[in-house]
Amino acid sequence: MNRLVVLVAALVVAVGLAAPAPARAQAREVVIGVLYPLSGNAAQVGLDSVNAVKLAVEIVNGNYDLNVPLARGEGLPGLGGARIRVIVVDHQGKPDVGQGEAERLITQEKVHALFGAYFSSVTGTASQVAERHGIPYVNAESSSPALTERGFKWFFRTSPHDGHFSQVMFDFMRDLEKRRGVKFKTVGIMHEATQFGSDSAKVQEELARKYGYEVAVKIAYRDKATNLDAEVGRLKAANPDVLLPSSYTNDAILFVRTAKNLDYNPRLLIAQDAGWTDPTFLRETGKDAEGHITRAPFALDMAAKKPLIRQVNEMFKKMGGRDLSDVPARAFTGFLTLADAINRAKSTNPEEIRKALVATNIPADQLIMPWTAVKFDDKGQNAGVRAILQQAQKGQYVTIYPFELAAADVMYPMPTWKERR
Amino acid sequence: MARLPGLAAAALLAALLAFPLVVTLPFPRHVMIMIFLYATLAQAWNLLAGYCGQISLGHAVFFGTGAYTSSMLVKTLDLTPWAGMLAGAVLAAALSQVIGYPVFRLQGHYFAIATIAVGEIVYTLALNWDLIGAARGLYVPIKRPDSLSNFQFHESKQAYYYIALALLLLAVAVTRRVERSRTGFYFRAIREDALAAASLGVAVTRYKLRAMALSAALTALCGTFYAQYVLFIDPESVFPLSLSILICLVAVLGGVGTVWGPLVGAAVLVPLGEGTRILFGGTGKALDLVVYGALIMLVSVLQPAGLVGLARRLGRP
Amino acid sequence: MTAEVLLQGLVGGLLMGLVYALIAAGLSLIFGLMEIVNFAHGEFLMVAMFSTFWAWAVVGLDPLAALPLTAAILFLLGIATYHGLIRWILGGPMLAQIFATFGLAVFLRSGAQALWGVDFRLVKDPLVQGRLELAGLFVGLPQLVASAGALAAFAALYWFITRTETGLALQATAQDRQAAALMGIDTQRMFALGWGIGAACVGVAGALLGMFFYVFPDVGSTFALLAYVAVALGGFGNVPATLLGGVVVGVVEVMGGLLISPTLKAVVVFAMYLAVVLWRPQGLFGRF
Repeated sequence: MNRLVVLVAALVVAVGLAAPAPARAQAREVVIGVLYPLSGNAAQVGLDSVNAVKLAVEIVNGNYDLNVPLARGEGLPGLGGARIRVIVVDHQGKPDVGQGEAERLITQEKVHALFGAYFSSVTGTASQVAERHGIPYVNAESSSPALTERGFKWFFRTSPHDGHFSQVMFDFMRDLEKRRGVKFKTVGIMHEATQFGSDSAKVQEELARKYGYEVAVKIAYRDKATNLDAEVGRLKAANPDVLLPSSYTNDAILFVRTAKNLDYNPRLLIAQDAGWTDPTFLRETGKDAEGHITRAPFALDMAAKKPLIRQVNEMFKKMGGRDLSDVPARAFTGFLTLADAINRAKSTNPEEIRKALVATNIPADQLIMPWTAVKFDDKGQNAGVRAILQQAQKGQYVTIYPFELAAADVMYPMPTWKERR
Repeated sequence: MARLPGLAAAALLAALLAFPLVVTLPFPRHVMIMIFLYATLAQAWNLLAGYCGQISLGHAVFFGTGAYTSSMLVKTLDLTPWAGMLAGAVLAAALSQVIGYPVFRLQGHYFAIATIAVGEIVYTLALNWDLIGAARGLYVPIKRPDSLSNFQFHESKQAYYYIALALLLLAVAVTRRVERSRTGFYFRAIREDALAAASLGVAVTRYKLRAMALSAALTALCGTFYAQYVLFIDPESVFPLSLSILICLVAVLGGVGTVWGPLVGAAVLVPLGEGTRILFGGTGKALDLVVYGALIMLVSVLQPAGLVGLARRLGRP
Repeated sequence: MTAEVLLQGLVGGLLMGLVYALIAAGLSLIFGLMEIVNFAHGEFLMVAMFSTFWAWAVVGLDPLAALPLTAAILFLLGIATYHGLIRWILGGPMLAQIFATFGLAVFLRSGAQALWGVDFRLVKDPLVQGRLELAGLFVGLPQLVASAGALAAFAALYWFITRTETGLALQATAQDRQAAALMGIDTQRMFALGWGIGAACVGVAGALLGMFFYVFPDVGSTFALLAYVAVALGGFGNVPATLLGGVVVGVVEVMGGLLISPTLKAVVVFAMYLAVVLWRPQGLFGRF
């Protein structure tokens, strides 16, 4: 019988751990569930984003003289000064964990809205749960175009997706051809082989066809690769006019090192955000990344024109010691968008919040992003997005495109390894 | 082996059947469903590894096969997932024979590492196979209204709960049946000493293949269940090495070569993982996994035969 | 695909393969001694790379200068692992051993995350950097030094096992622990020593890799997977054959990527492994 006791004890433990947490939601508190990967490969991005969310909460709850929504005055005035509380959970990058957590946050923690997830796959399953329960879900950074094509009523994305992202690269290539009197014939696509890289490569391949460029080489690789010699060897052999890499941080660093070792000299390199905009990338590659161009929805160098960016960045730095970069900047903006909607809803009723989200209209001057506004279309996609391109010049990213926003001229072609010495 | 008294087993079953009637919150139900899922997976693995002694670290191959087969059939032919589930099981069993036939020539660690190699190969191929969505994954089309034939339940988890429980009971029943059959004796003979078994006239490879087919088919059923439960699959979630290892961990923690081991293992490991993640996971310091790793080491040192072994030891006067 | 690119790939694969081989040697040594596969081997490598990084970041020691220190730290980690964990499961079933070392892996990996965070880190401006150019062929100097270092470490290991009294005692224990015990060899000490040396090999490899590879808590897993293949290729427990196993893995990886497809290079490596072990079930130079 003792074995039975153990079994039963185990089950009791199981149920005990899963038992409902006491309802803590108070009247003057708005609770938002925040999902990010906080372990594994993407944990740094997750941590940065959580810090950005915490900063946004601090700005809303406290009294700050900043030109962003809800900074001045404490709490949410629309709800009698109610404060925002976030519950941060780690989904470990697993779609099923994200699904379970979304369910738990909604039914047990009684959150009023959900936010986050970073990985498109997890955003996909977690937002399914929100849709089912009728709870608003705001996503600030997942880039799979399919997410806003599902006909969901409760899903809103403030960030551009891969379609917007890649379009700007090809527009830039066109404009550069005109400006410099050069002609690009071939592009090379190199992407890491998980969802992010594959999605991005697919869009780029379609766009290349549309714009009349030949895809000379297309390479997928595993982001945990220990060695990229073969990949770079192939690129060197095919030598496309423009290289379009989509990589995470570690593989982006490894790529640059390998290219240096094997003397691979792309003349123009336009990267798909992610690894290239992680502050770690420039910190670790330094002058080796000189001349690299990356698509970036956020530009720290525009702080010169927009003091708001500098102010927010300084506050952000105090939280984690790192500069604000693309993904956390998007999280910050997305979270404020949600808070703004809740404030305008003057209620924590999900339907009221949803209506307020639909009516969102945050003007450009209140954004740290280079967007024209935050304003959702009928699919829940922010229609005011605009992507920019930045180039590493003298160890820092400067905005080079669209030309009217540019802080510096384009460096083309990129210096070869021999010229760098 | 000693068995739980029938009465106690019946009481446990009754408690499990009554659980969703008492607990209506989705999250505890979700945890229970995950317990059933991993218990079933571990039980399936146990048939091959625990009874027949062939330690596979590539079982995710069969899980993914089940998940992808049914989802592709739903997507392309609009077939009910139940038919897809069956097709997945058949396909996984067939695949297991193709893999098993050569790989069973290997022994011990060579076999284990060969299964890792097969797993990595299949995972990489799935990542690049455009027809099944490659790395972008596959959304299972959402069907309304909830119905058994659609195998989708959006209003309540109750149906998922009972289906998962049924899967587990099926795995337990198969295991019990094998345990008492002639086949089961052959399995154990192979585990103890394959050479001796062969010299006594046991067709070693044929019985290993049989164990593998059963194990693969049961694993594939779980794959279909997972796909219909989460409604999104990608190679990262159904084919990874970490899943293969997790299945093995559940069984080993509970105790291999016993009917109850995988159940106990899942009942402890799943809530432990969820609990530590909820308590410590939000910090980004991975403290939950530190605790998890330490506990695994502790159990393996204190009780290499698994928790069932511990219970048995305590049970002795 | 030009001959030049292929030759370049061959050289790159060879250099990396030697480092894989050194990582695999530690694994093989431990297995030969007590038939345990250390599933935390990749995490040992991670610890070695982190200690290399910290030696540089805190004290300013170059990875090469820190190499003895890293080897010593890993030697101690190996001994501690033996006394704290492995000793207690020696008699247990193979599964319990897999389970235990897997738990250690999770513990070390997440412990590193808890202590040092998840950022990617690199040693900047190491003593050895840059590249050589020989008739259109490029060789990274850190890679060259790393592979030479790996070869030297291998030679030292080989000399130690075959030429010193302690090494011979290790071998005797590996062959027959009862007989060794009867001959007055303290097998417990030998086992601990084996873990220490096995881990020290990874320590050297980690310091060498630290010259040019980034480190983060999960860095070890991919290296470890390749090391398992290298070990099994050469034959478990056969340390010299591991050298060949590692080089084969390194070269096949790059060549598969060049000739077939970079995405499928893992498939090529693992398929080659399967082909070899099916042809020779104990590895190329299996010792059974």
